[in-house]
Amino acid sequence: MKRVVLLLLLVLLLPFTKAESNYSWEHEFENGYITTQPLIIENSVYVRTSGFWIGDERPQVSAFDLVSGDEQWTFRSETTLQHDMSPLLFVESGSGACGTWQDLLIIAWADGKVTALNPSNGAFVWEAQTEVNVLGITGKLGLDEDRVVVPTRQGLSALCLETGERLLRVEFQDVGWRNGVLISESGYHVGTETGVLYSVNRDGTMSNISLGEGKIRHAPIETQHGLLVHLQTSTGSTLYLNNSILGNYGFSPALPLQYEDRIFLATSEEWVSLRCDATTCFEDSKSPFHSNGEMSIHNLDNGSIEIWIPSNTPDGGWGVFNQTSQLRMHTTKFDTYTTAAPGFSSGAMALGNDMGILQVTLFESDKSAEKTSSFSFAEILHYALLLSSYLLCCIFFATKNKPRFWKALTLFLLLLTVAAVPEVSTKWSTLIEQDSRATWNEAWPEEWKDTQIVIIEIDGKENIIGGLNGNSNVYELTQAASESLGISTEYEDQYLGLYLRSFNGTEGDGWEFTLDGTRSNTGIVDTAINSDSILHWRPA
Amino acid sequence: MLSGLGTHGPHVSSLGLLAINSLLFTSAIWLLMRPNNSQKGWLWSLFLLAIIASGARILLSGLPNIMPVTILVIMVASKYGLQRSIAFVILVTVSSNAVLGDGWWTLFQVLAWSSIAAVSAFFSVHNNDGILNMKRLSFAAIWSVPLFSIIVSLSILDGTMGILEFGLYLFNGIPFDALHMIGNIFFAVWSGAWFERILSLQTPSQQRIVREDQHVSIV
Repeated sequence: MKRVVLLLLLVLLLPFTKAESNYSWEHEFENGYITTQPLIIENSVYVRTSGFWIGDERPQVSAFDLVSGDEQWTFRSETTLQHDMSPLLFVESGSGACGTWQDLLIIAWADGKVTALNPSNGAFVWEAQTEVNVLGITGKLGLDEDRVVVPTRQGLSALCLETGERLLRVEFQDVGWRNGVLISESGYHVGTETGVLYSVNRDGTMSNISLGEGKIRHAPIETQHGLLVHLQTSTGSTLYLNNSILGNYGFSPALPLQYEDRIFLATSEEWVSLRCDATTCFEDSKSPFHSNGEMSIHNLDNGSIEIWIPSNTPDGGWGVFNQTSQLRMHTTKFDTYTTAAPGFSSGAMALGNDMGILQVTLFESDKSAEKTSSFSFAEILHYALLLSSYLLCCIFFATKNKPRFWKALTLFLLLLTVAAVPEVSTKWSTLIEQDSRATWNEAWPEEWKDTQIVIIEIDGKENIIGGLNGNSNVYELTQAASESLGISTEYEDQYLGLYLRSFNGTEGDGWEFTLDGTRSNTGIVDTAINSDSILHWRPA
Repeated sequence: MLSGLGTHGPHVSSLGLLAINSLLFTSAIWLLMRPNNSQKGWLWSLFLLAIIASGARILLSGLPNIMPVTILVIMVASKYGLQRSIAFVILVTVSSNAVLGDGWWTLFQVLAWSSIAAVSAFFSVHNNDGILNMKRLSFAAIWSVPLFSIIVSLSILDGTMGILEFGLYLFNGIPFDALHMIGNIFFAVWSGAWFERILSLQTPSQQRIVREDQHVSIV
């Protein structure tokens, strides 16, 4: 019997074979896209749909139970007709000069309406109509003490949070699109489709400056060196800091994201991490990536952060970055074009994409009401067993019970080895790193020399890309190459780390890689590469 | 049948795998039907242990190299002889690989465990009275690992790998071999006596005395 119990205990160690064990649910909206970040507030997930609306179909905002995925309520707009791209805004209850308000979920519509709902039951609280010029509101709302600041198509309004009463209204000369508003100490800042940046004081006076020929499709970012604007131009995009050009980047910039002294940008070509020091802001790192929508930050338990950005490509997925480089690609079985940032809470993540699919993942730590998880339970059990077996070793050794001492010792060694082998194997392999040379092919373009090159063999066909730079491990390089080649990838977290499961959905008997002509025995994240490495993926 | 080269040697088509598995299975049946051991009642014990070995291998597949298969192969070979132990190896490997993944490597796993069986049949872990010797079993748990590792690793040879590279490949696998060794010793110490009882199920009860180093248990 005790052997059976022991075998069961060993099986309990199996959760260690997955880096992350999750539970999730999905909801598919029959019509429309999800183009803005789902919000996770307490035990609910809020999401809105966007699209062109015809017939009886209507855009909607829905609330779901975070754990079960049960729909709590849905609010439909009967009047809005086009892209509803203004992110949802949750406002905590409070009071200010214009009144007292309850918790609110504020929705801005493409027909110019602003609707405030009770987030707990979807009950209507108030609604205000703002100006419409073909379109109404498409940009991100701002919150300024007792008022919500609304960037409209050709101006800006401020509405009282208690009643929706209009407290401020200014008109611009130019129209805007997805023109979010920045709230700063000096007032409100909004860009337009003609590259003009408007600054509105709280008393309604305003000034503007033309940055150049292009479109400002995001809320400016406030830095200690002035406002940062990523202007979309006909040749790509230009980054302005305090009205001066900081650099040029790819097409269709995403909405920039600020975190402490860093600002993250993305375009159809790259993801960029800027850092601001006492003197200026500068490009700190850059990775190939295609993103044109929102980004969001996932705060990890260890105090670090991950930046999640949607890949706006047919293969979709989300790039996960640290503050300087890409860590991995997060994929689901529903991936497609995506611009909505993931919504995060401390224990859950909500993903939405252009197929109108909402996927909510509960990290194990928050799956149950007791805030316990099978992973942490297994981890605790593992260490408890380790400690217990060690103590038993000591006891049986002291009592000279040799047979039991050997049993306890083998259990202790086994538990210890299981925990240690993944890291030991990584360090071990670095002892014998080979000094191998890349095999340069004369048929490749000269400009690929001294750059990173990737060959991916799929169904007997070699897909080759060169001229890649700045990738520090096999995972990053594979992702960069796959993006450039339009090849989808799928990964799996395993006992020994991240594992490449498939290219273009082809799993076969697995995939192996050689780096500079040599097999590596470390994982794709642990295998470092050089600036001129040649990575070759082929079916195992 | 062999349509390409990859990590684990040639990629074997489905038809090829069917042929290999059929050949292996037929071999196992043939080996089981031609007993040369006078002991009676071994068949059910062997099947039961094959089910235990396959099930445990599948259940513990997330923990690389931790499985009771190697220890069982050693004990079966020592108790029932080479012929039946090879049949045992084939049954366990083919059935568990049907779940874990089948391929060219199946042949090498069969070859590796059969080699261990061959050595174990010659250097028995049972004494002259047929009693399990735990010291020999523990020693076998260690020597069997490099033998298994080298033979199974041969499956990756595809004509492009040199001897040095193969040596480095083996060297890199040492942490996992250590895991295999400790797993073997663990199963030997914790389950050796239990496996021995199953191996001895059909023998007269007065012979079913399992002696571990310093204690005796009577079944």
